[in-house]
Amino acid sequence: MKTARIIKSSFMGLGKNKLRSFLMMIGIVIGITAVTIVVSAGLGAQKKVMTRVKKFGLESLMVFAGGGRETGRPSSGQPVTTLKLSDAETIKSTIPAIAEVAPFNRQGGGMIKYKEKSSTAMIFGVTPTWAPVWSWYTEDGDFISDEDNSRMARVCVIAPTLQKELFGDANPIGEQIRIGNVLFQIKGIMEARGISPGGGDMDNRVYVPLSTYMRRIANVDYIAGIKIRLDDVEKMNEVVVDIQSILRERHVLAHDEPDDFRVITPKAVTEFAKKVTGTFNIFLVLVAGISLISGGFVITNIMLIAVTERRHEIGLRLAVGARSRDIRFQFLLETIAITFSGGVIGVLLGFFGAFILRLATAIPVLISWEGIVLGIVFSSLVGLISGIQPAKRASDLQPVDALRG
Amino acid sequence: MHIIVQTKNVSKVYQKNGGVPIYALRNISLSITEGEFIAIMGASGSGKSTLMNIAGCLDRPSEGEVIIDGQAAHTLDNEALARIRNQKIGFVFQSFNLLPNTTALENVELPLIYSDRNNISGLAKEALNKVGLADRLSHTPAELSGGQQQRVAIARALVNDPEIIFADEPTGNLDLRSSYEIMALFQELHEQGRTIVVVTHEPDIAEYATRVIKISDGNIQNDTSNNHIRKAQEDLKKLIETAEVK
Repeated sequence: MKTARIIKSSFMGLGKNKLRSFLMMIGIVIGITAVTIVVSAGLGAQKKVMTRVKKFGLESLMVFAGGGRETGRPSSGQPVTTLKLSDAETIKSTIPAIAEVAPFNRQGGGMIKYKEKSSTAMIFGVTPTWAPVWSWYTEDGDFISDEDNSRMARVCVIAPTLQKELFGDANPIGEQIRIGNVLFQIKGIMEARGISPGGGDMDNRVYVPLSTYMRRIANVDYIAGIKIRLDDVEKMNEVVVDIQSILRERHVLAHDEPDDFRVITPKAVTEFAKKVTGTFNIFLVLVAGISLISGGFVITNIMLIAVTERRHEIGLRLAVGARSRDIRFQFLLETIAITFSGGVIGVLLGFFGAFILRLATAIPVLISWEGIVLGIVFSSLVGLISGIQPAKRASDLQPVDALRG
Repeated sequence: MHIIVQTKNVSKVYQKNGGVPIYALRNISLSITEGEFIAIMGASGSGKSTLMNIAGCLDRPSEGEVIIDGQAAHTLDNEALARIRNQKIGFVFQSFNLLPNTTALENVELPLIYSDRNNISGLAKEALNKVGLADRLSHTPAELSGGQQQRVAIARALVNDPEIIFADEPTGNLDLRSSYEIMALFQELHEQGRTIVVVTHEPDIAEYATRVIKISDGNIQNDTSNNHIRKAQEDLKKLIETAEVK
């Protein structure tokens, strides 16, 4: 009852100092808005990563030619020539847990021409297993077949981005396009797939038979990688070890030599994607942290000034029977009430900001209860921490000194 | 008679940074009995306010004992002193000390917030009624005259039904008419049995009290009962009549 009355009295005081309460709130509002956006964007990004990993396939792994730790293309300019089509065949036939292998080669920035129009796209040389291994099929027409590969046929399947670039809304099937200097007939269009785990457009591609690619486009006898689909996800780690030993043996690598290939699992893809979004998050967390800390200092200062300004009030309260802990409680409560309100406003603004962000940019945001809890807990915590010193100063006042003030 | 406040050899010494000690009070011994209306008189710096602060448990003596209603206040901790101030003592200040932007009712409720009582707004209304401000409950200090503000402050001092009311220069910021009104109110409360101590430097004001204690240089100069008590109500009436003639 008594505590409730003191709380009520504190809140009344806040309402009577609207400008001061507002000024104290600003920093917290900004900080919590940033925190909320960070959490929303972070969760959104996480969700996006998960969908990307699903695109990659949870039961899939990838073998790339060339050592090193990064995903994507080999970093050195020199292509690695040791991974062969026969490696893929051996892996498939030796490891029973593997359902299917899809060897491929590719090159970026290939010139694609249709009549007088031209565009650039990734050129992929693939086998028919590419489609089931990626669970990625044609939207229209047919995919590359075994026969195309054995005939070294000059046929291709194009993906939606390239289709739009070259043909607009027209039906391209049966049309001839020029890849490099060779004419290919379009036999199918791929389903749209969106953004890759690495962040690239998976729909700006053209697929040709692997044999045709190796002979007519790149003129090489090696492949860039093998996408592998497992029967049993549980065996992922064993399969990785098996692949490593098979390839090391086939590539005649000595014990002290590093791998000349890398095996990428969904876990590695997740980590890579997280690293990309992490940089952005660190920046926002920094903004949020700085504004909360400076907001906290502002609050401490304004409250210290308020304690000085309100000496008479404190003296009066002491004279009529407030104990020093009642005064301490009141000032701490006032500070927390302000930051709490700032937190609530910040969460609301943060959600609004996240909503705008989602509309205005490609950054995915997810509005969640974690954001609300985090915002409110953080703001109250800032209030508690920045309120301690002013509350202590207020409660340390002796009645006769405060009244004289 | 029941002794409410008793001081025994109370001294208050101020010493700044190891300088010469300054005695605000020296060996003050006095008793305040229930039902008295005391005026503590003295020039500024005489120590009269210090005496009131110590007797009212707002301050502690450097030496000596302070007994409030049988309790040795000088031995108590701050929390126990706050409790005594809350339950046994009411204060009225020269500058009213009302919370700004806060209604008369809320101002009077303030001491009750820190008490264990219930029905605080009922008690506060009752106190405002006693000082004749039943129709000003929701007025803020800015909307009240000086005299009315001081009456709100007196209601606040009364609301906890204290043993004693201390008033420090209660008419210091008021015009003559309001001063008469406030002193008439104190006399009325005194007649109802309240124990009142008014600290003042004005001899006129002291004439309304039943006992006058003169303080000079931290000592009690004399302590006499007033045989010619003036009636503030009559002075007020005369003042109004004179004003009407003019």
